[in-house]
Amino acid sequence: MSTAEFESVDVMEPEMATPASASSTELEARNVSVWFGQRKVLEGVNMTFPKNSVTALIGPSGCGKSTFIRTLNRLHELLPGAALAGEILYEGKDIYSRDVDPVHIRLAIGMVFQKPNPFPSMTIRGNVLSGLKLSGMKRSNHDDIVEQTLTAAGLWNEVKDRLDRAGGELSGGQQQRLVIARALAVQPHVLLMDEPCSALDPASTLKIEETVRQLSKEVTIIIVTHNMQQAVRVADNTAFFLASENEPGRVIEQGPTTEIFGNPKDERTLDYVNGRFG
Amino acid sequence: MSTQTLDPSTLPALAEQRPKHPWRKKTPRFTVSVILAVVLPAVVIVFLWQTSTIPTPVLMVACYLPLQLVASALAALATRGRRGIADSIVIVSAIGATVFSLVVLLSLLGSLAVRGWKALSPSFIFQNNVYISPSTPLDYGGIGHAILGTALIVFLASLVAVPIGIATAIYITEVRGRAVPYVRFFVQSMSGVPSVVAGLFILTTLIVTGALTQSALAGGLAYAILMLPTVARTAEEVLRLVPDELRTGALALGSTRARTVFRVVLPAARTGIVTAIILGIARIIGETAPLLLAAGNSDQTILNPTGSPVASLPTYIFNNVALPYPDAVTRAWGAALALMILVAVLFTLARVLSRGRLGR
Repeated sequence: MSTAEFESVDVMEPEMATPASASSTELEARNVSVWFGQRKVLEGVNMTFPKNSVTALIGPSGCGKSTFIRTLNRLHELLPGAALAGEILYEGKDIYSRDVDPVHIRLAIGMVFQKPNPFPSMTIRGNVLSGLKLSGMKRSNHDDIVEQTLTAAGLWNEVKDRLDRAGGELSGGQQQRLVIARALAVQPHVLLMDEPCSALDPASTLKIEETVRQLSKEVTIIIVTHNMQQAVRVADNTAFFLASENEPGRVIEQGPTTEIFGNPKDERTLDYVNGRFG
Repeated sequence: MSTQTLDPSTLPALAEQRPKHPWRKKTPRFTVSVILAVVLPAVVIVFLWQTSTIPTPVLMVACYLPLQLVASALAALATRGRRGIADSIVIVSAIGATVFSLVVLLSLLGSLAVRGWKALSPSFIFQNNVYISPSTPLDYGGIGHAILGTALIVFLASLVAVPIGIATAIYITEVRGRAVPYVRFFVQSMSGVPSVVAGLFILTTLIVTGALTQSALAGGLAYAILMLPTVARTAEEVLRLVPDELRTGALALGSTRARTVFRVVLPAARTGIVTAIILGIARIIGETAPLLLAAGNSDQTILNPTGSPVASLPTYIFNNVALPYPDAVTRAWGAALALMILVAVLFTLARVLSRGRLGR
């Protein structure tokens, strides 16, 4: 029974069952192309995400970065007209093969969105624990989880005295760290972040970047950003996406962040990372 | 380690890739389970239906629904484990409720069509009821006067209720004056006014006092009382859905509050406002009691809004359906069908008109 097998593959209990399958590649995209209706928006993305690394996706607006990371945890298929070709391998198995339950994939590959989206009807505490409730995970040590994840998200000291207030009362930066804590509470192996700092002030941005660096010891992180310095500060690897006029988005260049920013091979990458366009 | 760049030689091969929907593929196990879960209960029920004497509605509700719930739950358990059971129960209940309401709706429409169909003919639509007695054959006479009367009365009611209703909604959501709680309370209370009371109100205040006679205008005013709260409350809901960013955005461009409302907020809510008007018309168009009291009845085609009683579809149905002549009863069903078609035409028209160039 393949679904049960998949379930037992350490999705629920990540700490217990780790390095047996410790191939260093956690997630891999092979020739991924994406369509909306007849319009091809992304073409031939090949990318590997080593375990516990941080990968930054950079590029101008509309080049398919956000679309790409939404294919990585099967949120893409929820949009009308969505279509896809290619493979995405998570721990060696195609997440789009038909015996895979998308619920398990999304539990293992969490996501933080551009705009903070704490659930308005829940308290801060309730927000952090919401993933456990929604996915039906049974955990007894709720107080520990709340403290650990809020600490990991760099929010604990600011909210520890008001855990029973509404999540919507927090400032934008705090809300974003709250939803990061919420994503961490279900212990994902991969965390996708879609421009998590685009609506935040520099201080909150810095806190989230520290959080990302801390998290990367245990979690594989893929972060979309428009902020070049942010990519340099947090990412081990960087991929540069670009869409020419009337063409689908493509990965122009990818590799270690220091190389992409210090010694890019492609002229367009050089121009982009130096702020000459986009 | 250095970077990888895009290899242009791979592009032609990539252009061969076709869009696929891998998430639509199901495992054979899933397909088989779903087919079994659908077919087995149906077979059992057909068997019971053939062999037992349980009445069909009871059979469907008391046997089929529980059976289907159990079968789906088992199928979900087999394919997705325990967490699938809750899903399957929700899905089966939702489909069951949908089918139930569809059956009710379709049987209603069906009986209307079957019984009203015989009466429908061009003469029935275009002629009026002058010189027609209940025993006159169906070839003569019609409801043209009643259709025009209903249209006239609804038009007059909308003329009164739509501006006041939308103004009320604007007061509540945009002006946000001090009286908002009271206004909202009164609007809500108004929606509880029984239609016969609205008719009596017009009868005693306007007709008995001699200000008006039984007429389209009096009927329209009685209708307006019923229509106003529906329009006001629905419009309030849709104006509330317009994001505040649009309002502040317009104000930040130096717009006055009035212009913000009329140029930005109302256009943004246009589809919803049309829905509010449609719901208001749907609320009133079949009401009979206010028209019996305020508009009266007539066999002639009356287009003058004041001065004389006027016919309408509900009163025509009311007057014919209880008569001991089969043709009169058939006329009543025909008028009911015509009323239904009129409503459908109105709704379609409103939807088409509201779907402007920038519509959603």
